[in-house]
Amino acid sequence: MKGSFQKEKLGKNLTTVLFILLSIFYVFPVLMVVINSFKVNTFVKTDTFGWPTGESFAEFNNFITGMTFGGYPFAQSVVYSIVITILGTALILVFTSMAAWYISRVDSLVCRIVYYGCVFSMVVPFQMVMFTLSKTADTLKLNTPWTIPVIYLGFGAGLAVFMFVGFVKGIPLDIEEAAAIDGCNPFRTFFSVVLPMMKPTLISVAILEIMWIWNDYLLPYLVLDRTEYRTIPIHIQYLKGSYGTVDLGATMALILLSIIPVIIFYLTCQKHIIKGVAAGAVKG
Amino acid sequence: MRIKHDSSAVNSDMIRRPIQRWAPLFLVPMVAAFLIGFVWPFFHGLFLSFCKFKTTSNWEWVGISNYEKALQDQSFMYSFGFTAVFAVVSLVLINVFAFAVAYALTQKIRGANLFRTVFFMPNLIGGIVLGYIWSMIFDGFLGYYQTSILMDKEWGFWGLIILTCWQQIGYMMIIYIAGLQAVPEDMLEAAKIDGANGWQTLFKVTIPNVMPSITICTFLSLTNGFKLFDQNLALTGGYPFEINPDASVVRTTEMLALNIYNTFYGQNTASRGVAQAKAVLFFILVATLAIAQLTATRKKEVQQ
Amino acid sequence: MKKLFAILMALVMVLSFAACGQEEAPETPENPSEGNDEPAATGSVYWLNFKPESDEALKEIAALYTAETGVEVKIETAASGTYSETLTAEMDKSNAPTIFVVSPNGVPTWGEYCLDLAGTPIEAELATDAYNVYDEEGKLVSIGYCYECYGIIVNNALLNEAGHDVSEITNFETLKAVVEDITANKDTLGFSAFTSAGMDGSSSWRFTGHLINLEYVHEFRDDPEAWGNGAYGPATLTGAYMDNFRNLFDLMLVNSTTDRKELANGGFDAAAEFANGEAAFYCNGNWEYQGLLDKGMNAEDLYMIPYYSGIEGEEKAGLNCGTENYWAINGTASEEDIQATMDFLVWLVTDPEASEMAVTTFGVMPYKSAAESTNRFLAQANAYLADGCYNFAWVTNYQPNVDDYRAVAVAAINAYNADPTDANWATVVTAFIDGWATQYALANG
Repeated sequence: MKGSFQKEKLGKNLTTVLFILLSIFYVFPVLMVVINSFKVNTFVKTDTFGWPTGESFAEFNNFITGMTFGGYPFAQSVVYSIVITILGTALILVFTSMAAWYISRVDSLVCRIVYYGCVFSMVVPFQMVMFTLSKTADTLKLNTPWTIPVIYLGFGAGLAVFMFVGFVKGIPLDIEEAAAIDGCNPFRTFFSVVLPMMKPTLISVAILEIMWIWNDYLLPYLVLDRTEYRTIPIHIQYLKGSYGTVDLGATMALILLSIIPVIIFYLTCQKHIIKGVAAGAVKG
Repeated sequence: MRIKHDSSAVNSDMIRRPIQRWAPLFLVPMVAAFLIGFVWPFFHGLFLSFCKFKTTSNWEWVGISNYEKALQDQSFMYSFGFTAVFAVVSLVLINVFAFAVAYALTQKIRGANLFRTVFFMPNLIGGIVLGYIWSMIFDGFLGYYQTSILMDKEWGFWGLIILTCWQQIGYMMIIYIAGLQAVPEDMLEAAKIDGANGWQTLFKVTIPNVMPSITICTFLSLTNGFKLFDQNLALTGGYPFEINPDASVVRTTEMLALNIYNTFYGQNTASRGVAQAKAVLFFILVATLAIAQLTATRKKEVQQ
Repeated sequence: MKKLFAILMALVMVLSFAACGQEEAPETPENPSEGNDEPAATGSVYWLNFKPESDEALKEIAALYTAETGVEVKIETAASGTYSETLTAEMDKSNAPTIFVVSPNGVPTWGEYCLDLAGTPIEAELATDAYNVYDEEGKLVSIGYCYECYGIIVNNALLNEAGHDVSEITNFETLKAVVEDITANKDTLGFSAFTSAGMDGSSSWRFTGHLINLEYVHEFRDDPEAWGNGAYGPATLTGAYMDNFRNLFDLMLVNSTTDRKELANGGFDAAAEFANGEAAFYCNGNWEYQGLLDKGMNAEDLYMIPYYSGIEGEEKAGLNCGTENYWAINGTASEEDIQATMDFLVWLVTDPEASEMAVTTFGVMPYKSAAESTNRFLAQANAYLADGCYNFAWVTNYQPNVDDYRAVAVAAINAYNADPTDANWATVVTAFIDGWATQYALANG
């Protein structure tokens, strides 16, 4: 009995060691970005894994050149990414939660059509609509960072409506009936009674939408007026797009700048992110 | 996935009627955006797949010939094969590793939370950025062998696999952990009392109980594999290209989504309708996978 | 946590209402980024630029025009190798480019979208009709806007250091002798003969688009009929001069700063190598001139010599002169935009300040009132012609489905560079010669 206990302990220690190694493998790429963002361009390719020293150490020059590299100010891309992500997520949260409540409470033929339409949209890959969607968005002037959230609401409604309907179904009606007896109109009922109850799902949906919109490349690339607006992924793709020569050092510096906020966001909201992802995956 | 016909909801006119009057606020904005952002583009795209067109306003009906051309297109067939192999290999690797990691992390080892945090992290970084990070690493490594990820199709394939695993194992791990935590303690206890060893418990008790998670993860990684685009574009871009004897080109690491994109926005504008037809076929493929998943999940639910 | 959630919700509400406000705003027709106080409805100009190296200069010119006239001029530059992709996406938009590039191989695709330039004010400014592109019905689809030359750029100061002079080089044999002598003494001299020949997108066009012209042009000279006397490209090539292409290509790669096996990786900066004196020869064109001077080179050290590749009579060869830069005006644009675009182009080739800026970035512009070019390479190109040398016309412009065609060629060259055997060379020949026929059939089928 004692032997098997020791064996178990040994096994657990081995697993821990194994996981430490695996963690290093997981952190390694990010570490390489940090290291190479301080390297002179030509050394990124020839001495990728070396520490930046002496002639290969670029100090903060990559960050300075990176700011204007590629013929477009990086700060502007960051601002546009933030605007699109916040507006897009906000629009989705507000309008799909409202629609989901309406759909599950009214439950008319129209509601069912909308609901199944949303479920259907979840399985349609973006390539199916990319060409016509960019045309539609352009015609309706939904091609700016302030209007593209409407496209995100339309194309991303499926999962959100699906998750919200799933949740609203489980809310007992008594509470809403009580509110109605107290003289609440549906607007007040929704915002002061239903919405607070939806908090866990709201957080899950918000997390999923933020992760999607922030990292999305093809939709904004095809929809936004590319003469004026770039998001971070578009900006990074342009750097590789060979304007003359490619400055790998500066590219790494910009990649680092673009993942720092993501990692901070992750570390602060980790619990909700992981919960949200699990909820979204199980439902989807 | 059906809305359950909760009789109290339908009959509760007190709730239903007033809400209906608020439709312009509650339902219309979302439906309007849905029409603009999905319904119209979808049907417009479906229509254009039967047309020859350069721009959307300049089309000519050609019937199903686009579909015939798409199915005869060698590059499309090649990328389908490549994508299928990729999807299956990544499916197996991702799920085996994710399950193993999740299993180990639920055995109360030290630092489990920290490991979970680290393994999930790559999911927060977008595909384009991930692609460039890994292309730097692969090129730095392959540089010692005078080659690069863009020159060697074997490495291109495995590079994509490594990247995808690195990104998705953490995601699937989360789902498996949720599944494993839901396995009833008493069943595990009972197995122990009956003298089952670790492996027997795993296969006889644990795995049957996490079947729903396994179904979800399998299909999720399969569809993700088929839909992969950003990582493909940023890591290999379809390179290296090989030349057929007739001097047409094979983009040896081009996956379906990228093939469709390249056909659309490539130089040969005559093939734009063909690209839309490919997109429709691609949609049918992905939708079929989703329906298969639904059926599989349903069946499991009935059995339980 | 409650507090965080409350803040989040408040933020969401505020932002969503702000967004709704934004959403409704476009109801009234608005002029994007145009001052509302201007009474007359004026058009705007959108130039989808083809030359990444001219991006900054064009933006300066555009700003100058906007400052002078108040007319908005947008410059968007497609990354190299993605012009057709960008044009395809942009042409379907409501604010489509008003100026774009249609070279002869683009006529089947974009010809119908082009305004007939015959009899327009900009056509009246042309000094020559040598760079006019017509479609089958004789519509003037596009007109050349700059005249360029390419060849092998030489740093004569380095040649002198090695005990040679550019005047020695009159054919492939003499070129080879000088190059191999430099390679033999590379260590003492401290420089190589040729710069690197990177095969990434930012550099591979120097070979798949330019160097290969020596093969095409001799086929063209042998049988001009097959090329419609230079009006359109042939459906197939013979490949008769691929060995000559190989002669020069191998010479450039063997005697280079960089091991040819590493070229596919890209990331090399050939212009910097040349400007820093690491190499004496650099395969490129006149558009590099200003950049080389800016990097501190002396004008009098710079020469450009023809592609000598061992073809009989090549002592009488000149530089590759021509253009792949043709303005087309979008005929589907609004009247105002077409007018604004026309005014802008006329201004660009007649205004002294603007045309000087344009000529600095473009080289020679074939317009009556355009500024004189100070580009030494173009002067040398003309000197060759004055000496009775034959011109290498830019028949490379007829490459069918050019981006795809070149992508295949790069793939073949990479394989050949990794292992320079005859078998791999055969693949390069397939890519260039059979690839032409394949892509021609696709583009015209």
